[in-house]
Amino acid sequence: MPSKRLFDRIDSIQLRGVTKKYDDRFAINDVSIDIEGGELVIFIGPSGSGKTTTLRMINRLIEPDSGTILINDQNVMELEPVALRRNIGYVIQSIGLFPHMTIAENIGLVAKLEGWNEKKIKDRVKYLLDFVSLPSEMFMDRYPHQLSGGQQQRVGLARALLMDPPLLLMDEPFGALDPILRKQLQEEFYQIREKLGKTIIFVTHDIEEAFKLGDRIAIMDDAKLVQIGTAEELIFHPVNEMVASIVDSGKKFKHLDTLKIKDLISPLECMYVHDGSLDIESAISSMIEKNIEIAVVSNGSGPLGIVKLIDLLRMEDKDSKIADHVVEIPSFSRNELLSSSLKIMQKNGHSMAFVMTDEKLSGFLFPNDAFSQVIG
Amino acid sequence: MDKEHKGVDSLLLSDLIEVWETNSLTLRTIEHLTMFGIAIVLASIIGVFLGLFLYSRPKIAHPMLNLLNLVETIPDIPLLVLLLPIFGLGKEPTIVASVLYSLLPITRNTYTGLKEVDLKYVDIARAMGLSEKDILFKVRIPLSLPMIVGGLRIALVFTMGVVTLGGLIAAGGLGAALIAGIQLYKINTILVVGFWTGLLAVIFDGLAGMIEKRLQRRYGIW
Ligand SMILES: Nc1ncnc2c1ncn2[C@@H]1O[C@H](COP(=O)(O)OP(=O)(O)O)[C@@H](O)[C@H]1O
Ligand SMILES: [Mg+2]
Repeated sequence: MPSKRLFDRIDSIQLRGVTKKYDDRFAINDVSIDIEGGELVIFIGPSGSGKTTTLRMINRLIEPDSGTILINDQNVMELEPVALRRNIGYVIQSIGLFPHMTIAENIGLVAKLEGWNEKKIKDRVKYLLDFVSLPSEMFMDRYPHQLSGGQQQRVGLARALLMDPPLLLMDEPFGALDPILRKQLQEEFYQIREKLGKTIIFVTHDIEEAFKLGDRIAIMDDAKLVQIGTAEELIFHPVNEMVASIVDSGKKFKHLDTLKIKDLISPLECMYVHDGSLDIESAISSMIEKNIEIAVVSNGSGPLGIVKLIDLLRMEDKDSKIADHVVEIPSFSRNELLSSSLKIMQKNGHSMAFVMTDEKLSGFLFPNDAFSQVIG
Repeated sequence: MDKEHKGVDSLLLSDLIEVWETNSLTLRTIEHLTMFGIAIVLASIIGVFLGLFLYSRPKIAHPMLNLLNLVETIPDIPLLVLLLPIFGLGKEPTIVASVLYSLLPITRNTYTGLKEVDLKYVDIARAMGLSEKDILFKVRIPLSLPMIVGGLRIALVFTMGVVTLGGLIAAGGLGAALIAGIQLYKINTILVVGFWTGLLAVIFDGLAGMIEKRLQRRYGIW
């Protein structure tokens, strides 16, 4: 049965004195916040500070004890919860793909309940899989446990986008991924965000992620909203010590000139390194087993470049060597200045670089658009 | 020892055919599997519905499961005898006893399966905009299937035993042939029928086991 389209776009989301208690303890305490349509607002703060509770009130998974939540001036408590939730995408850290359904069934489930015909569902699912960079013909009929963690999280996003909801709630979506994969998905998400044109409320515990992705950042502590503002506002005018310490890692960017690459390095783990003589087939299984989406291709003496799992999966000739398919990326010494390396990378459109210590590969550098913006 | 050994040795194909024909084992097998099939289908329907019902009424779940447990502790022959005054001799009390025995594993596994579905799936289903009914049919029940099939598997073994015992109360089936063999002390008959009944039980258990494994593998829960 089709549910009502409650809103085609978000004009505003308002929380007014929202409070929720569990026993005698506040989960959130008198939180008020105004979010504009099209904004990406990040919630960040210590564990247990009320971020998830706040998020889950917006789609009525949790109902407030007092206060109101308005979407486009409609009180969510007056909307039918099933219809409300079908108009809001929801992505969580544990993903929660249903193990008994194929990827296509997982993504298309709500469309089926809405009574779409098979063809329309299939087309939509294909479109969404391609949108999140998973070749649809390869993934539609697989089961979730056959996918790596990063691939599952992409499917989780595709599923949330099914009904083209104008609002997305994302609760630490990249939190369970290893640092390098997380950076890659952040990078991709940053790029598709523009295409999505949606209002997004995003919880994280990673301040770099917050700076990178957020238009505004809301800092929560002890069930209260402490401060909300742009990265600059938080960095230059923190309302208290706690905010200052959370954005502290952003502070060093005021002195970009003195920053070295080693201050921003993502250390390399040896599981990422694959020998260039490996064929594509074996590289794919190794990467899926290790739950990684990028591999460093090495020829024994040093790194040749990288291959991405997504690209390998699309290759026709699975017997050829991965050395023939490497994408070269720049490499810098760990003691070089960050600013000059970032400029080089930006100019050549590279999204990552190798960091070398004494001629040996020791990590990656991911330039951070948002970071450079913060520095202005 | 010597005599038994000779018994097995001399069990040639011609003896086997003779035993099969004099005891009308084709007919007996059909009778047997008919009772078995009816009992299993009934037990599955009642058991799954009872499991669903108990899941929706958690307050009576424990007393009800305890009652079924009590039924389970009555040994099979006394249970058959207890049913005689109500159902008389024959197939009915045998089927009823089989169903009574099979209810516990099927009901309990259905109830436990539904209750113990990982809450993260229920939560995400709700967040996606599934109604409570959709959550039950699209998430909880499918995710409990491996567990329900596990209960069915136990029920298959119970039922095969009880249906065979039905031979004692004129239910026919392979049990009747077995008892005739015992009464007339015909070793060949006892061996053939015993082996055949055992083989059937193993086949059905194997089939159910295969379904269970396939479900578990499909769901990635090995
Ligand atoms: N269902 C619940 N029952 C009891 N306490 C809860 C429940 N959900 C959350 N809480 C409590 O509410 C507070 C806020 O939790 P949460 O919003 O999950 O924090 P965060 O997402 O910032 O880590 C925590 O102290 C947590 O223990
Ligand atoms: Mg949380």
